[in-house]
Amino acid sequence: MKKLKFSAILTYLFLILGAIIMVFPFFWMITGSFKTSQEVSVFPPQWLPKSLYFGNYKFAFETAPFARYFLNSVLVVISSVTVCTFTTILGSFAFSRLRFPGRSVIFGALLAMMMVPFEMLIITNYRTVVQWNIHDTLWALIIPFMSSIFYTYILKNFFDTVPDSLYQAARVDGCSDWKYLWRVMVPIAKPSLVTIILLNAIASWNSFLWPMLATSSATVRTLPFGLYNFVTEGGARNEVMMAAATIVVLPMLILFLFARKYIVNGVARGGLKG
Amino acid sequence: MEVRLENLTKHFGKTAAVENFSAVLDSGELTCLLGPSGCGKSTILNMLSGIIPVTSGKIWFDNRDVTDMEPADRGIGLVFQNYALYPHMSVMENIAFPLEIKNVAKDERKERAHEMAKLVHVDNFLDRKPGQLSGGQQQRVAIARALIKQPQLLLLDEPLSNLDARLRIEMREEIRRIQLETGVTSVFVTHDQEEAMSISDSIILMKLGVLQQEAQPQELYDEPVNEFVADFLGTPPINKVFGHIENGGIRIDSGPLCKLSGLENVKEGHKVHLSIRAESFLVNSSEPVMDARVVRVFVMGKEKLVYLKLGDFEVRAYIDSDTELKAGDRVQLGLRRKGVFVFDAETGERIR
Ligand SMILES: Nc1ncnc2c1ncn2[C@@H]1O[C@H](COP(=O)(O)OP(=O)(O)OP(=O)(O)O)[C@@H](O)[C@H]1O
Ligand SMILES: [Mg+2]
Repeated sequence: MKKLKFSAILTYLFLILGAIIMVFPFFWMITGSFKTSQEVSVFPPQWLPKSLYFGNYKFAFETAPFARYFLNSVLVVISSVTVCTFTTILGSFAFSRLRFPGRSVIFGALLAMMMVPFEMLIITNYRTVVQWNIHDTLWALIIPFMSSIFYTYILKNFFDTVPDSLYQAARVDGCSDWKYLWRVMVPIAKPSLVTIILLNAIASWNSFLWPMLATSSATVRTLPFGLYNFVTEGGARNEVMMAAATIVVLPMLILFLFARKYIVNGVARGGLKG
Repeated sequence: MEVRLENLTKHFGKTAAVENFSAVLDSGELTCLLGPSGCGKSTILNMLSGIIPVTSGKIWFDNRDVTDMEPADRGIGLVFQNYALYPHMSVMENIAFPLEIKNVAKDERKERAHEMAKLVHVDNFLDRKPGQLSGGQQQRVAIARALIKQPQLLLLDEPLSNLDARLRIEMREEIRRIQLETGVTSVFVTHDQEEAMSISDSIILMKLGVLQQEAQPQELYDEPVNEFVADFLGTPPINKVFGHIENGGIRIDSGPLCKLSGLENVKEGHKVHLSIRAESFLVNSSEPVMDARVVRVFVMGKEKLVYLKLGDFEVRAYIDSDTELKAGDRVQLGLRRKGVFVFDAETGERIR
């Protein structure tokens, strides 16, 4: 009994320590963004600002088009994630349920392509985008991400676990494949789907390398690259950088807090191994 | 609706799952497809439902040739061993789903689903999800869903095998009640002979894709056409002793001569198997056909279970509880007319 208690305390200590290490940077960023420049530079450092000071945000929004970046980011995330989810669902269903010649060969080829590192794709993708004459537009940030082998693979694996008899029962009742997919498969796969959507949204929101390469004008810039530009070009003050970083991180943080349950479930389910 | 299967054959690559299968399922009756695992029962059912195409042969629903018809157009209801309920839908939605696909108006859907739920006694759980129901309740929902379209034919593939023993008996009586109430022609697949005996109007017993016998339960038990049928039915399993024909009787291997009538036309020395049901022995009968030694006696209350030594073989016999017997006794054995069969040792065909 005593031993159990001791180990429990130890576990919690570790957890608390881990949590502090994880949370502290966020805490410092958010509180810092509300501090005046005097408050930031005092020594010893001050935990909390005396009052909520919005000047840093104002400054950030005034000196760089963060509103524009934000809008671009939102546009890119929503459209690429929406289309990608749609193609993922259709692809997974086809590979999981439909019988067509070459099915396993095609799927095998797709899996093999998953091995190609993203950095290598970037070069060919860039050439394609230039050829299509859509570089330096939002399309360049959306079109390459309208499908994903990885998410298709994950969802297909989940679809494979749905018993065939559900499909047969529906077929006997006259249910079309299309209707079966949307009325039965997709609702059953909801937890997996939410996980996929969230991971995809986070990856899309945070993506940096590709936007840096594919866009150059400020009007099509997304937040992460915008922040980078702001920091390197502006030589900005610390507290303003904190404000800018908060603008970038906050939406995903909120999304994560709301959907935490699904993400953890999805990962714990083992659906995301590999 | 009468269902006719004509020379139905199904091959999966090289395996012949069903071979030249012909049978008639009478309208309004419940027919059991019975046989050991892997004998092609599910295959036949899936061909009836149209889920798998036939290799050759024809299927008739009354005068309609449905052999190449889509499952949805056949007017059938299907119940699976694992229930196959949609886990994200409530009981109500599950039952009404076939109507939803047919675009039946919402009010009518609800009303008919209610009716069905009443029929199968799940009207108290309409808002629950399948995961919140017991196995028996889930199976009721599955039956309701299969029946809501008012199918002409109800197909059930081992619907009770996921249930525990007590529930199995309860549910098979329920299925029989529902079938009689609706009068729907039904096919019930099972490998449990007792289940088949108790529930069906008619039983089709099959082995390795080939039909062995189609008969009413009692007839199947009393008049098996071959050794496989005799072996498959009955608890405890039928007793088997081997021997050959001698002087118009059967000489049991290293044992007594069993004087049976009706074997006059079989040639001397022909190898045969003698199968005797446990309840067909008469101890100390006035017309004994052979003698035997008592090995063990178990008192069961209403009767006694006696193990008897017959040559190389040991057989089980149920006898009257009044009969005094103990191990080591020698007894004069008689045989009833019922439950005693002679089969050709090679072909397994019945010798009458
Ligand atoms: N899709 C398939 N591909 C290849 N062989 C199959 C297929 N389906 C069934 N078989 C074979 O056909 C034979 C009959 O199978 P079936 O499923 O009809 O047996 P069953 O009588 O229903 O058995 P059980 O009582 O175990 O369900 C088996 O030998 C099986 O291996
Ligand atoms: Mg089967």
